[in-house]
Amino acid sequence: MASLIHCPHCGVRPKEEFSIRGDASLIRPDPEASDEAWNDYVHIRSNPRGRYREHWQHVAGCRRWLVVERDTFTHEVFAVTDAASSAREAGR
Amino acid sequence: MTAYRLASGGLIDRSAPLDFRFDGRNLTGFSGDTLASALLANDQLLVGRSFKYHRPRGIVTAGPSEPNALVTIGKGADSDPNTKATVAELYSGLDAHSQNRFPSLKYDFGAVNGLLSPFLGAGFYYKTFMWPAAFWEKVYEPIIRKAAGLGRAVLERDPQAYEKCWAHCDLLVIGSGPTGLMAALTAGRAGLRVILADEDFRLGGSLLGETARVNDASAQDFTETVLAELRSLPNVTMMPRTTVFGWYDDNVFGAVERVQKHVALPQAKLPVERLWRIAAKRALLATGAEERPLVFGGNDRPGVIMAGAMRTYANRFGVAAGKSVAIFTNGSAGYRTAADLAAHGVEIAAIIDSRAEGADVAPDGVRVIRSASVIDTKGRQRVCGAVVERSGFEQTIACDAIAMSGGWNPVIHLACQRGAKAIWSEDLKTFLAPDVGNGLVVAGAAAGRYTLAGCLKDGAEKAVVIAADLGFSTVSHTAPAVEGEIDPSFTALWYSPGAKAKAFVDFQNDVHVKDIGLALREGFGHVEHAKRYTTNGMATDQGKLSGINATGLLAAMQGISPADVGTTTFRPFYTPVAFGALAGTSRDEHAAPVRKSPLHGWAQRNGAVFVDSGLWFRPAYFSRGGEKTWRESTDREVRNIRENAGLCDVSTLGKIEVFGPDAAEFLNRLYCNPFLKLPVGKARYGLMLREDGMVYDDGTTSRLSHEHFVMTTTTALAGGVMSHMEYCAQVHWPDLKVRFCSSTDQWAQMAIAGPKARLVLQALVEDDISDAAFPFLAAGAVTLRGGLKARLFRISFSGELAYELAVPAGLGEAVADAVMEEGMAHGICAYGLEALNVLRIEKGHVTHAEFAGRVTPDDAGFGRMVSAQKPDFIGKRLSTRYGLTAADRMQMVGLKPVEPDQHIRAGAHLLREGAKPSTLNDQGYVSSACFSPTLGHDIALAFLKSGRERYGERVVVWDKLAGAEVVAEICNPVFVDPGNTKLNS
Amino acid sequence: MSRTYISRHPLDDLLPLEPGIRAVDHLDVPRSSAIVSVMAMDGEEASVTAGLAASGDVSIRFTGPGEWLAVSQSETPESLHRNLSLLLAETAYFVDQSDGRVVFRLSGPNVRRILAKGIATDLHPAIFEVGTSSNVLCGHISINLARTGENEFELIVMRSFAIALFDDLKVMGREFDLSAGFSVRG
Ligand SMILES: [Zn+2]
Repeated sequence: MASLIHCPHCGVRPKEEFSIRGDASLIRPDPEASDEAWNDYVHIRSNPRGRYREHWQHVAGCRRWLVVERDTFTHEVFAVTDAASSAREAGR
Repeated sequence: MTAYRLASGGLIDRSAPLDFRFDGRNLTGFSGDTLASALLANDQLLVGRSFKYHRPRGIVTAGPSEPNALVTIGKGADSDPNTKATVAELYSGLDAHSQNRFPSLKYDFGAVNGLLSPFLGAGFYYKTFMWPAAFWEKVYEPIIRKAAGLGRAVLERDPQAYEKCWAHCDLLVIGSGPTGLMAALTAGRAGLRVILADEDFRLGGSLLGETARVNDASAQDFTETVLAELRSLPNVTMMPRTTVFGWYDDNVFGAVERVQKHVALPQAKLPVERLWRIAAKRALLATGAEERPLVFGGNDRPGVIMAGAMRTYANRFGVAAGKSVAIFTNGSAGYRTAADLAAHGVEIAAIIDSRAEGADVAPDGVRVIRSASVIDTKGRQRVCGAVVERSGFEQTIACDAIAMSGGWNPVIHLACQRGAKAIWSEDLKTFLAPDVGNGLVVAGAAAGRYTLAGCLKDGAEKAVVIAADLGFSTVSHTAPAVEGEIDPSFTALWYSPGAKAKAFVDFQNDVHVKDIGLALREGFGHVEHAKRYTTNGMATDQGKLSGINATGLLAAMQGISPADVGTTTFRPFYTPVAFGALAGTSRDEHAAPVRKSPLHGWAQRNGAVFVDSGLWFRPAYFSRGGEKTWRESTDREVRNIRENAGLCDVSTLGKIEVFGPDAAEFLNRLYCNPFLKLPVGKARYGLMLREDGMVYDDGTTSRLSHEHFVMTTTTALAGGVMSHMEYCAQVHWPDLKVRFCSSTDQWAQMAIAGPKARLVLQALVEDDISDAAFPFLAAGAVTLRGGLKARLFRISFSGELAYELAVPAGLGEAVADAVMEEGMAHGICAYGLEALNVLRIEKGHVTHAEFAGRVTPDDAGFGRMVSAQKPDFIGKRLSTRYGLTAADRMQMVGLKPVEPDQHIRAGAHLLREGAKPSTLNDQGYVSSACFSPTLGHDIALAFLKSGRERYGERVVVWDKLAGAEVVAEICNPVFVDPGNTKLNS
Repeated sequence: MSRTYISRHPLDDLLPLEPGIRAVDHLDVPRSSAIVSVMAMDGEEASVTAGLAASGDVSIRFTGPGEWLAVSQSETPESLHRNLSLLLAETAYFVDQSDGRVVFRLSGPNVRRILAKGIATDLHPAIFEVGTSSNVLCGHISINLARTGENEFELIVMRSFAIALFDDLKVMGREFDLSAGFSVRG
């Protein structure tokens, strides 16, 4: 876990200002999607070593949800972006 | 008397004597002394007993690696165990005690362990205490615990204050020796924000005990010149007494500053220690090198001291460790100690050099024995002779101290704390730091550049590179000239052969060479296994002196390179840090913030007894004269509300203002029940699910205008629901035009419940609140007499005619007082959480006691609320899966004891009559229970398999914790006013 | 029957009624402030930013993208709300927070050293410039921090946390004999 996170809205902040939700690559399925799709979305999580995209919320700051792309092994943070922009890009 | 204070010299203030105590003896030192130097000056060499064999042990080093001179400073709650005398700054009145001895340091009963030593080899505990298992708890552990441990932690509360602080800099320089000083100076001159941290109370590192001259001045004068310039630079912060103990992600360093550990009378306004988190763009590790002990027979006898430490004691503290010193060395450093001691008038008994040849020059008249080694030492509680072996011949050399020098180990701990492994250097015969990127650069002796000129140059040069890297330009200046340069060369000697006594590797944990050999023979030769098997490096010093020697020994015993053995893992903390410092101010009332309701003062004035509710303080009940128990107060409050009226503070419920053209759509997707058509001026109960179909939270949401809603959450999940909504709005549906923010703190909100609630309120509210004008679930703005704008909601948790009135928080107490005043004639009372809970259980209303994460809306009786028409909402899809709609799910029911005087407690399980308690026979559980003053007996809400079909049946309420079994009748969970006539009155 | 309601400040029982001795480092607490949450409507972020910049006597505190706190010591909550509604009509939503937030003003030569005991953000004036504001964590409590001068900061905290923050600030300022009192004019 990183010590400092660069919030795109607030600048460099300590990890204590954030809360972590988990995998950011999951996209909420359509209500009509298959049982498997919903099961995967709600229950199935990988625990990868290496590059990972996670949803973090800047709870004590701007309260925005962010996509933190980081390495779970080296703890390097590659990018932090606003989750809404990512969601729009993903065409949600 | 052998060790003594030299007549002159040293960086101590001989005009400022300091009285202190050691084991009850009154002693005197000087300002500038460490406890260790002052003890040595008083010829107190024996300072402790070893961990396992209780062998007498003396001071070995002059720094933070000290394995032996651990003392307890202070008494009672104020005592600090395991303080290293070698770094403890002397102050007037310091009271130190030796550890791990009984009854006294000189006569220690535990030393019989030494007689048992053949049985206490490596792995002894593992082999001996294997069985029977029951013996662990009762026999072995208490014995080991009693015997083990160095200092003792006290049980009293630490009365000292601590704090935490953040710092930011361009360059953090760790270590203020020649390398660090030049780096700080170069970077400081270039304009970088520099922090120079050093664990010592005096900055200068090795320069403080150096006899070489720099720029035609003494090393100490040179140091003062540099420090003076650094002090003049506003961009440079100097932090003495500060140990940088950890290197963390993103170049954040942990450090602990001993703010006033060294003062006789601490100031109340200052912390005793301060924990720093230093965010550094770059850091320079200038921690120098540690002298390596030699592993020879009898090397643990008091008086055997590191050669460099002996030199430091003489040059910096003006203390000679002995009158006649033998020097055992494998390199040039031993000769340097000999020269400096001789210059101070100390006799050099002999130099025992393990090497066959060398260009080093011994002081005039000093005997040098080459190709020789020390195989044993003489003496009891201090050394009185060295047994030297050369070509098979032994001789005993009389001496009262032995200096040992075994080469150099760069202090690279921090660089290896984030996973990178140290790298063996065949050239330097030691481990060096790996390249860990440009965040942390290792320089000077820590990088294996041992000469003084090399350190001064390396520090400056690396600072130039760092400055340029950060966009600063530096002015070039010539490197300081060194006169009388030191020679760091040595020939590695992992073990001095022919030992006639135990040759210790780890002094603190009593690990000697044979233990390492045993570990290897028994298959624990991997460096990490050997560490655990022998406990080498597992003491409070974490193997600072012993680690590399253990690696060298493991390699030598197997005939392989130390590169193939490697080191054990370096982790924070570099030296131990007090828990108090890690906690900082976060203890007692500062451990977690207390949230106070705007009606807190009102509740206090009305006799509230408060209870923690998350971060909030909420009134549990309001005690009146004569009431002896919470139940008496609660029962009175409940009865009064059912008959008259009551006022309860509900300000802590989360309040969220939701705006926008898509606000209704947003809420409609958030809740499982419909919200699109909620009329303006109306409130509706809403149930929020998790995506897995279980209930998440509930509350009422009111539509104040077409595009403005105010929703409420439970107190417990106010923060969680807000984050959930933000996630939904930002991640799931970023295109919905909705904005929301919390207004929880803006409003003081009070529930006014009971048949007389309207009478009370109408006296205060200008608007018509008759049932016709303001029916159940009406919501909107009202004006209080006097013109105050407020919000009024006709909602009821108690089942009574009830309202919630919200006013701006600052006016909350005044309005609550007014309500109480108007209500007095109608018998109003204040009521707390306990009464609130009883009222809602009587009415069959749910809270998080019911919504515990495994409950669906249908389980709780809200099945019909869930909208089948809505195309989507959070939790919709998984609500329909088989397991969540099965007929035998546990459904919420009411329970009442068949014998009315029997009690039911929450958490009890339900069984069929006659069934044995087992997981298989489990029929459900009680979620909430209370005594109902309205009905005169206990009632409960419970979840029971197919419960709604079983009204009238009996179950056994099995409460293992209370050891009680009660037969109860299953009933409708609404115990009071099932027809809602009171609610709608 | 007409009634008047007297407003209470959360620190009423904790701060002296009369201003006491003022140390060089001082915590000044306005007894009341008008504070409004401003939330830009979708797509109106830029125009609201521009509108707020032109709002004159009102201090604007950044809380998140498209969201601000507007703070005034001279206006009443009602007038601030009304004026902003006129100024930013049809571009933003407003929520009165005048009773829901408490303002602390910290000033003096040691303010940065005091704040560093709770706030991780680098407050060097070249980095956190005068006029900057942001939500930050101070100890365990989320606040809005604004730099109003080289050695002056304004902290805005949720009302329910005001006493806890005040207690924390007293501890943080103890080293510098930090004094505290209600604003003389507020
Ligand atoms: Zn942010």
